[in-house]
Parts: sequence; structure tokens; C-alpha cells
Amino acid sequence: MAAAASARDIDAASYGFPLTNPFEATIASTPPELRPTLPSDEDITQADYSLTLRPEREFTLPDNFWPVKKLKYRMARQDHEAPLIFIIAGTGAPYSSSTNEYLKKLYYQAGFHVVQLSSPTSWDFMSAASRFATPGVTKEDAEDLYRVMQAVRAQHPRLPIKDFYLTGYSLGALDAAFVSHLDETRRSFNFKRVLLLNPPVNLYTSVSNLDKLVQTQVKGIDRSTTFYELMLEKLTRYFQDKGYIDLNDALLYDFQRSREHLSNEQMAMLIGTSFRFSAADIAFTSDLINRRGLITPPKQPITEGTSLTPAFKRALQCDFECYLTEQVIPMWRVRTDGGSVLQLVDQASLYALEGYLSKSPKIAVMHNADDLILGPGDIGFLRKVFGDRLTLYPHGGHCGNLNYRVNSDAMLEFFRG
Amino acid sequence: MVKRLLLVTALLAAGHAQAEEIAPRTSVIDANVADAPVEQSDGFLDPLRSLKFNPGLDQREFERSTLTALNVYDPLESVNRRIYHFNYRFDQWVLLPAVDGYTAITPRFVRTGVSNFFSNLGDVPNLFNSVLQLKAERSAKITARLMFNTIIGVGGLWDPATKMGLPRQSEDFGQTLGFYGVPDGPYIMLPILGPSNLRDTTGVVVDYAGEQSINYLDMANVTSDHPEILFLRAVDKRYTTAFRYGQLNSPFEYEKVRYVYTQARKLQIAE
Repeated sequence: MAAAASARDIDAASYGFPLTNPFEATIASTPPELRPTLPSDEDITQADYSLTLRPEREFTLPDNFWPVKKLKYRMARQDHEAPLIFIIAGTGAPYSSSTNEYLKKLYYQAGFHVVQLSSPTSWDFMSAASRFATPGVTKEDAEDLYRVMQAVRAQHPRLPIKDFYLTGYSLGALDAAFVSHLDETRRSFNFKRVLLLNPPVNLYTSVSNLDKLVQTQVKGIDRSTTFYELMLEKLTRYFQDKGYIDLNDALLYDFQRSREHLSNEQMAMLIGTSFRFSAADIAFTSDLINRRGLITPPKQPITEGTSLTPAFKRALQCDFECYLTEQVIPMWRVRTDGGSVLQLVDQASLYALEGYLSKSPKIAVMHNADDLILGPGDIGFLRKVFGDRLTLYPHGGHCGNLNYRVNSDAMLEFFRG
Repeated sequence: MVKRLLLVTALLAAGHAQAEEIAPRTSVIDANVADAPVEQSDGFLDPLRSLKFNPGLDQREFERSTLTALNVYDPLESVNRRIYHFNYRFDQWVLLPAVDGYTAITPRFVRTGVSNFFSNLGDVPNLFNSVLQLKAERSAKITARLMFNTIIGVGGLWDPATKMGLPRQSEDFGQTLGFYGVPDGPYIMLPILGPSNLRDTTGVVVDYAGEQSINYLDMANVTSDHPEILFLRAVDKRYTTAFRYGQLNSPFEYEKVRYVYTQARKLQIAE
């Protein structure tokens, strides 16, 4: 243990990130004036491409899934030989998610070819690229991702690439760790450096934290007012005070400084709500593709005119924990011939890679001391495994400081170094 | 439906009655922890420690809110969904490629000029509707915008008014109807134009007719001679609209768009 260098702890005073409330940081991210200057979309040579990875899904998926029968990804290319970086999105997020877009601009500006990939938990990935369409067993998800990355590489044989790099945020960071591990044996890319941004350490802790966020006691909800109505009333009053509607990046800060600002519980509920929608999408899609009949009756014909609202209502009742117990664990047990829940959690979390991560100097992690997807002991684990390859920021919530200039500089510095 | 709602509400009320009591010590979450997070030995500041949770963690507020929100009057759902898929394809295969071509052949200042020009034209119905809603201050501001942008901004190619602190405020006839208490009516997915409802569709027709009869800057006449202006206007409209089909990345995008549209219109009418 003595040999392990200690983590880089950034102290709050010199860090200067203005949002010390983890919930505000998670929702609003960095104030616009503290973000790095980035190129606009029009200055980037980029396009969306699609891959046919599971041709049979063309026939087995219902008609209204037509937009996701092929897997789309986005690539920004330099006009000369350059390193290429893959970016993996977080829970339920597509290749075009705002964090992916931000990271693309950052790395493109620094001279990388950039490939943006959807998360294996995103419905487009589940439909078009996932073999079992039951994300959650991280090793399997990483195999699916690896195939996608190989197909991307094969689709651009003439792109001059110097080296390969890999990054991901949130669940995408956990995926990136497993992809990097897989690459050590498959050797298609030989990633030079891998950066994990705010990964879950114990997948089960993370999903139960997220599930719990909708259990906060929110003031102002009663029989006649639901949570959404409460939020919309606040927004209406805010705009009425202001005199006009102006949606921009600074809106959230201004809103939090107004009389209508949200409490921690309300913000937690809001974050929890957004994750519950992801959980509903995942539960619905996985059930439908595998014809499990938990949400959609397996023989029900679905056309473009069919209402999905009844299925949506059923899927909304299912949180991550429900999805894990009803869909992931049964499938995983059948495929691996038994195994307890604890075993699955162990295999799907960073624990499974402890030995690999502690001996791989090319992998680093950036995390926040107040990240809501972590539980007690998780940072201790990261300290032990990563040593000085862990950078721990004092604030930022979950991924709220990724677009803070100090963080973006550190990210570029890591890949340059 | 009403029954289920009642049941959910009753459950929730029971939950609230419980919540007012002090959380039992056996509860997983201690309800009365100090606000400031305590740093743990490894540096972890547990953000969830500072939250007040519902004891028993069996609140169904998310489910209640969301199921209520899904109740939008949509009797034409089956047709609407087909039109939604048609629009999705039309957008991908016609509109967005047109926008891409447009951005490829024009420099940015030209595109901004085009957007400003059409936006200035749009201030005419904005003005009329804001007068109809008896909003004196807003009407005065929109009038000032029209003057500045048309005269100083050379027919609306520049937008000096926004820089002078007169931001664009949109009012349409659908909002005017809503202002006087006309209900939404059934949700309608309009071909190409996207989400609407009976009230707002009426509004679109009235605004269009108004624009034709006012003939501001002689646009209505010129457009009937040169239909390509209509095409440019459509391309500009798509260019300035940030929404992309599929961006919500959900099998339930139709439901989500329907909810957001309905609420956004309520908000626009209320302010």
C-alpha cells in the first residue's frame, strides 16, 4: 500500500467552482461564463453515419421502431492525420446527448477525430446493436460496444488515425473501463489513454441512489397539485415576474436566484424523475425486444398508429431496481447457469476490474466528492485502486463540472500528456 | 381512470399524513440530519444525507404526476401518430437535407439576415395579437421593434431592437384565443408543421389570413409572384427551429412531445 501514490485532491478554495450545491450543479452544470470557448457546430466537419449490426431486427422489431433499426453515430473528422477518441454516453443517453456534444467540441478543437456513441442503455443502441437488449451486465455491454467501435473503424478505412483514445461519462465511464479491459485481449485499438468521468463504482449503489431520489418529501404537493404542476406553476410565476419568456443557458441560475427557486428535495425529485424516464424506456424496450410480456403483450400487433401510452404507463411503474430484478437477473441467471445478485453486482461494477485498473497507468478517473451516484466507501475504493490517477474535485455533483474550464483543461492535459 | 386517480390520491394523502410524523428511528433514512454534509474519511460528501426522504420510501408521487400528465385529450391519436411518423421521415429526407444545402451555400451573415427578415415580418401578427390581448406595454415594445428593425435594420435584415433591450416576444392568434379562455380542443399533429391542437390550428389559419391581407412590405404580393420566397421561408423556419425528431431518444417521444407542447402553450398564454 505504501507504494501507491495518493489521489490528486483539489481543494475547494483554489478550485473556484461556484455551485457548491450538488443538486444545482447536476441540473444546471457550469455557468456559461466559466465554460471553455468551443467551436460552433458549423465550424466542425461532422456527419451522422449508420451501421447495420443486427439485420434480423429489421423484421422482428415493430414498425414504429423504424428510426432505430440501424445504429447511428456521429463522427467529427480532422482534415489530416490525427488521434481518434471514442466518447461513450451516460445512462439512457444517445450519441447526440448534450454532454457528448460538449466533449466532442472540446476534443475536436484540440485536434482529435471524435466518434460519439450512444450508451448501451439507450433505446437506439438496445434496438440496433445489443445482442441481448438487456443492458446492465457491463461485460456484455462492453462487448456490444466493442463490436460497434470495430464497425465504425471499418466504415472509415481511409481516415488517417494516429492513436486511439477512449472516454465516457457516468455509466459510459464504467463501460469505457470494461471496453479498455476487453481491448487488452482483442487488441483492435490499443487505446493509448482512457479517461473515466464520474463513473459509478458499485452499479447497485448508483441505481438505488437514483431510484431513491423520487422518494424525497417535496413541499407544495397535495391532492390537487402534482409535482409537475408545481414545477410549471413556479416557472409560470417566474416568467410572469420577468415579463417575457427567454430560454437560454443562464435561465437556470437566474431561476435559482429568484423567489421561485427549488429546494434540494425538489431538485432531487427532478433528477430522479429524469432517470425514471430512462428506466421506463429501458424496461419497455428490453421487454419488447425479448418478448418477455411483462410490459407489452408479446403477440400484440404494433403499427405506426398503435398507441404506446398503455405500455408507457406500465413501464413508468418500473424503476431501475425493478428492471434489474425482473429482467436483468433472470436473463443473466439463465445465461450463466445460476449466480446470486451479489455476484452480478460484483461483475457489473468497477470491482470486477480492480486488478486491471490498479496496474494500468493509461487509465485515469475524475470524480466529485459530492457525486450523487456514489455511496459510502466508493471514493475509498477509487483512491486505493487508482492512486494518483484519481482526481477528486470537491464540488460538481453528478457531471455538473465537466464543462468547467478547470476540468476541461485537466481533461485535455491528460490526453496530451 | 377517475377511480384510479382517486386511489392514487388517497394513497398519497395517507403518505403525507405519515410524513408529518417524525421518522421512526428504524427508518433507513434519518430525517433529521444536519444540512451541511459531513465529510467521510475518504473525502466523500454524501449529498443524499441532507435530503428529507419519505419514510418507508413508498411514495408514488412520480407515478401519480406522470400518469396524470399523460392525460391529454387526443381522440385522433392513431392518425396523429401516423402523421408524426410521416413528419419524422419528411424531416429526415426533405427538410433537414434542404437546411444542410442551405447552410452549405450561404455564409452565416446571409442566413442571419434571412432569419431577421422573416422574424421582422412575424412581428406584425405579434403586434396584432398583443393589441387584441390588450397588452399595452408589450404592444408598444413590439411597435418600437418593428420601427427600429424596419427602418434602421433596413427592412428587417438586421435586428438592432434586440440589442437595444427590446427582445422578440411572440404572440399568435392561438394565444389570443387562449387568453380569452378558449380551451385547447383535441390535440392535432399537423402534417409537416408538427404538434398543435384545434385552437392553435385555428390560430395558424387566422394569422396567415391576416398576414396576407395586411401585406406588410408588400410581401404577400411578391410571394405570390415568387413562390421560391415561400420555400426560403420554410427552410429558414426549419433552420431556426432547434427540435430534431428522435432527439428525445425514447420510444415514447410522441407522448413526451404532446405533453411538452400542451404545457408550453399554457405557459405562453399565461405570461
